Amino acid sequence: MYYVELLLIGLVWGCTYAMMALGLTLVYGLLRILHVAQATVFTLGAYAGLLTANGTGSLPLAFLVGALVAGASGPVIYRLVYQPILDKPPFVALVASIGILIAMEDGFRLLFGPYGLSFAHNPWFTDTVGFAGLSLNVVQIWIVIAAVVLLSAFAIFASRTRAGVAWRATVSDPPIAESFGVSVRGVRYTAFFIASVLAGIAGVLVGLLNNLVEPGMGGLISYKGLAIIVLGGLGNVPGTLAASLLLGLVEAYGTVFLDKALDRDAIAFLFLIAILMVRPQGLLGKAH
Amino acid sequence: MSLKIRMALLAVLSVAASAATLPAPAWAQNIRIGFHAPLTGFAAADGKSAVQGAELAVEQINAAGGVNGRKLELAVQDDQARPDQALPLANKYIGDGLKIVVSGSYSGPTRAAAGVFQQARVPYISAYAIHPDITRAGNFVFRTSFMGEVQGRAAAKFIGENLKKKKVTLLTLNNDFGQALSAGFKEVAGRFGLQVASEYTYAMADRQFGSIVASVKKDDPEVLYVSGYFFNGGPLVAQLRAGGVTAPIVGTEGFDTHNFIAIAKDAAEGVMITTSLDRDSTLAPMRKFITDYEAKWKVPADMVAASTHTAINVAAEAIRRAGADDPAKIRDAIAGLKDFEVATGRITFNELGEVYKAAQIQVIKGGQFRHFATIDDPVLLAPPAK
Repeated sequence: MYYVELLLIGLVWGCTYAMMALGLTLVYGLLRILHVAQATVFTLGAYAGLLTANGTGSLPLAFLVGALVAGASGPVIYRLVYQPILDKPPFVALVASIGILIAMEDGFRLLFGPYGLSFAHNPWFTDTVGFAGLSLNVVQIWIVIAAVVLLSAFAIFASRTRAGVAWRATVSDPPIAESFGVSVRGVRYTAFFIASVLAGIAGVLVGLLNNLVEPGMGGLISYKGLAIIVLGGLGNVPGTLAASLLLGLVEAYGTVFLDKALDRDAIAFLFLIAILMVRPQGLLGKAH
Repeated sequence: MSLKIRMALLAVLSVAASAATLPAPAWAQNIRIGFHAPLTGFAAADGKSAVQGAELAVEQINAAGGVNGRKLELAVQDDQARPDQALPLANKYIGDGLKIVVSGSYSGPTRAAAGVFQQARVPYISAYAIHPDITRAGNFVFRTSFMGEVQGRAAAKFIGENLKKKKVTLLTLNNDFGQALSAGFKEVAGRFGLQVASEYTYAMADRQFGSIVASVKKDDPEVLYVSGYFFNGGPLVAQLRAGGVTAPIVGTEGFDTHNFIAIAKDAAEGVMITTSLDRDSTLAPMRKFITDYEAKWKVPADMVAASTHTAINVAAEAIRRAGADDPAKIRDAIAGLKDFEVATGRITFNELGEVYKAAQIQVIKGGQFRHFATIDDPVLLAPPAK
């Protein structure tokens, strides 16, 4: 039963990674930018959600505000930071992205104080649902539901809608897509918006799960997100999801069985290195 | 006007003019005490308390007339809790000619800077960093707080003798702080009839403890000994309680801040900690520190602030006794302090530069830290002397 509980915890962690990493993959697929600053969008969503929840007492409203504030910040980051340097080598965008991450992290620290904030009232954190001798709290259940619903919605969007087809066309060949009347600019804004909404919702959920929102909460997940998209095969959506879940599981078991030797993040990155030694193209990436 | 008078006037004027551009004479200048703390980065929260404690100490000393008629002044620098930041900062203090420096930071930067100050023969006081090697840098380095091992031993005695529990699970932060606490605890656990059922370690950046909570439930200990800081301990304790773990939790001075209670909220109730700050103390400097700190900063006092307040007072007292000019004399004055009363107790330095203090056990009741017990055992809690 204990092992099943760890399995569930690993899946929950994997779902939070999936929501973050999908956005990173989208942006990488379109623009070849490693969007590390996605993590500050995650933190921004968490703060927006927490302040709304503590101000109004409504968690649904907190999710709405968190998602919208985060969602709006994505296109803004693209327009102000990435667009002017799109013709530069990819590492320029990466450096700019890391710059945003650091600046925003200290910005949160100046605005909201260095201590971190917790939810005044977080019923999802204390309420547990028990079944078959297992218990999960309500936040954990919502994380799984949110990940499944949002990622399915994205899959339907990408495969069944005109906008989705336009998006996929832009990923594979921007000039041809443009010549068929696809607005490449629109596709890019949409991608940043979707990625940022996902990050914002993940931020609110992780804030609820930890019962703490703090300036540096995005830092770690950003680098882990990068590791995941590499592991999944850069730009490969199913691979990214598989890598997210796998990493969550490895961490859930690793943190209690390998904890004396390695901490959670060391386990994650060691796992990444081990996989990439065997499959340099990533889990589901195709060998070139 | 005769030439003589005109010449004299000129001479007076030129002397006056040059005096205006020269620095004020030594007796009119402030005495500068170096003080570094993590003002930015992951430890910025403790850095804020550290600076507030030190500033309060300086304000109180200056309000009481300063030191030997001169005002004190802090020369604050940010070390980001990083060892690589500590070296240039230490060299700058030495280059600026400061005669004494206080660390309001963690073990990493403090340990790195200690060697530099020792080599330059500038006295250096660590306010709350716990690594044993800090004072081993040499005879110019002092520490006014507990070492981790000592605090771990106090917790073991408290759990065995006061709580009378046997089966304990350790949740240990995997940095020098957590490991020193765990080592001290395990070293004497057997002596107090404790059986360490299991130990799980976690990393500084961890905020999600699902698998640790599941493991604790499986092990079902009678009591938990939890190390860490408020920013990981707060979520950890909250997640343990939310997960249905009801065993008593004994924490450490890393939880000794109202931020711990602000984060863990109801889950913090009943948590006991080992620390050096007793909220219900009758010791005058400790009482005065607690009330003045809350009045000045509008937040409750915590261990970090009390520790930097202590270290600044030790520095000021040493300057009062030895003058502000000779670092070697200041060093000797610190080493010679006996039963000096400060915000964290009554302290006397041993030959290594460590102090003995009774350990305070505080319990969180009604959202406040309250006195629970005192572990006063000079043999068990003796700091190393070499």
